[in-house]
Amino acid sequence: MDDPPAAGHAPRIDRLGDAALIVTFSDELDLRANAWARRAAAELEVRRPSVPGLDTAVPGHASVLVPFDPDRCAEEALRGLLAEVLDATGRSEAAADGVLHEISVRYGGIEGPDLPEVAARTGMSEDQVVALHAGVEYRVLVLGFVPGFPYLGVVPAPLDLPRRATPRVRVPAGSVAIAGRQTGIYPFETPGGWHLIGRTEALLWDVRREHPALLAPGDRVRFVPR
Amino acid sequence: MLEVVAPGPLLTLQDRGRPGLAHLGVPPSGACDPWGLTVANLLAQAPPDAIAVEVTLGGTQLRAVETCTVSLAGADLGAELDDGRPLPAGAVYRLSAGSQIRFAGSRTGMRAYVGLAGGVAARRVLGSASTCVPAGIGGIDGRPLRAGDVLLPVRRGDLGAAGRAWPARRAPHPARLDGPLRFVPGPDLRHLPADTAGALAAATWRVGPASDRMGMRLEGAALLPGGEILSHPVTPGAIQVPADGRPVVLFVDGPTIGGYPVVGVVPRWERSRLGQLRPGDRVTFAPQDAADARAAWAEQQRRLAAAARVIGVDALWEGLADGAGG
Repeated sequence: MDDPPAAGHAPRIDRLGDAALIVTFSDELDLRANAWARRAAAELEVRRPSVPGLDTAVPGHASVLVPFDPDRCAEEALRGLLAEVLDATGRSEAAADGVLHEISVRYGGIEGPDLPEVAARTGMSEDQVVALHAGVEYRVLVLGFVPGFPYLGVVPAPLDLPRRATPRVRVPAGSVAIAGRQTGIYPFETPGGWHLIGRTEALLWDVRREHPALLAPGDRVRFVPR
Repeated sequence: MLEVVAPGPLLTLQDRGRPGLAHLGVPPSGACDPWGLTVANLLAQAPPDAIAVEVTLGGTQLRAVETCTVSLAGADLGAELDDGRPLPAGAVYRLSAGSQIRFAGSRTGMRAYVGLAGGVAARRVLGSASTCVPAGIGGIDGRPLRAGDVLLPVRRGDLGAAGRAWPARRAPHPARLDGPLRFVPGPDLRHLPADTAGALAAATWRVGPASDRMGMRLEGAALLPGGEILSHPVTPGAIQVPADGRPVVLFVDGPTIGGYPVVGVVPRWERSRLGQLRPGDRVTFAPQDAADARAAWAEQQRRLAAAARVIGVDALWEGLADGAGG
């Protein structure tokens, strides 16, 4: 029971309160588990209109939250549905490639105030940090924390740093940041504890758009230094 | 029609929020006390998804620009007219043009709700007018209300609800309950030291000063932390155990995913009581299984619906049973 289930094994299903279940595919950041979580959430959304009381599923890094109204959808019935959905989505491999976004970033300077520290702590030059960060294609693992904030993975291992000891009270909108093996973009000014290495003018979140979030889970992102 | 004379510490427009958007990172927002919101709307003869004003603690002053009715529900924040006449929660008052309501300060609870005839008129963003200040959406331009803002009733000039009162003996506010706040244990107990749920329940906690609509920090003898875990989606009511061992109860404007283990989740039927806890209040917890929590929710909804029938608004409120959760 205490062993974390690896992707490919049966996911765990736990309660999160009295009106949600949470399916956990992996306890580690794992691209296959992430893809499975996204497929399962998408499949639940397809079935939702025919399941009274089932609310919109929320995909996480390697989990899916399934909120429901227990008065209209019994937990046992939902567990049965989940077993079907997990079976159907577990067989396929990685989801179809998402949209590729090229996001222009000004690295360092006042727009990336933590770049010198990141370079010092990783034993690289600032240029090397930028080359590494901008040198790979990222996957949008999940949107969350605040509206439209994308968690992108996976950051090359040499850039793996814990979060800042003291979070900033205000991180400017558009800041491109790293923490652990993930990178993200702050959609608007919020508090934040990640290392700020650059900034983009891309509008990550705009409620005036039909789709307020610029990125969707499963999309691909490439950062282009300018 | 009301004008904000003084907003107090936080004055916002809230309705039942915007559930179903957590996959975009959008928190549900909405009233911290769904029961209080529901009662304010019922009394104001407003539909279930109507918008009301959420008043926090004391200091708020509202002036009637023209004669109107206002309903009051939720906490007792010492509401009174400018002539000193008290305005207890759970009733509808007729305010003549020029008169003012003042919330002198909290006697019990944290948040009061002011309803207007048919609800407050406001633009909805992503399906709701609820103000989510951290994301800058809802309400008026995504910000708290401030002096000079004007609030229009949907049914301007309708004074028909004046004198209407909530049958509080039949359907008392859930915050009137004593005893520990319930939580449904899980889902991250395996990432926490053995019997963390028991340790949470054994201690007495104090609501920290930094508590707000995003979350409530609990002070007391720290729990043993479980460290960071891979983030997963969370909901309002989730009780996280961060690295310092001082639990945080996530709330309506809080993050949609979290990276600290969740020892348990405050169930739906306890949300209104949770939303009325003030900084400095003492609180204890007790585990409850999901079936009992669901039964308590159903019972709470039955009480609300029965009270709605008593005041004759049940026809307006067919959606009540699945409505007041927020």
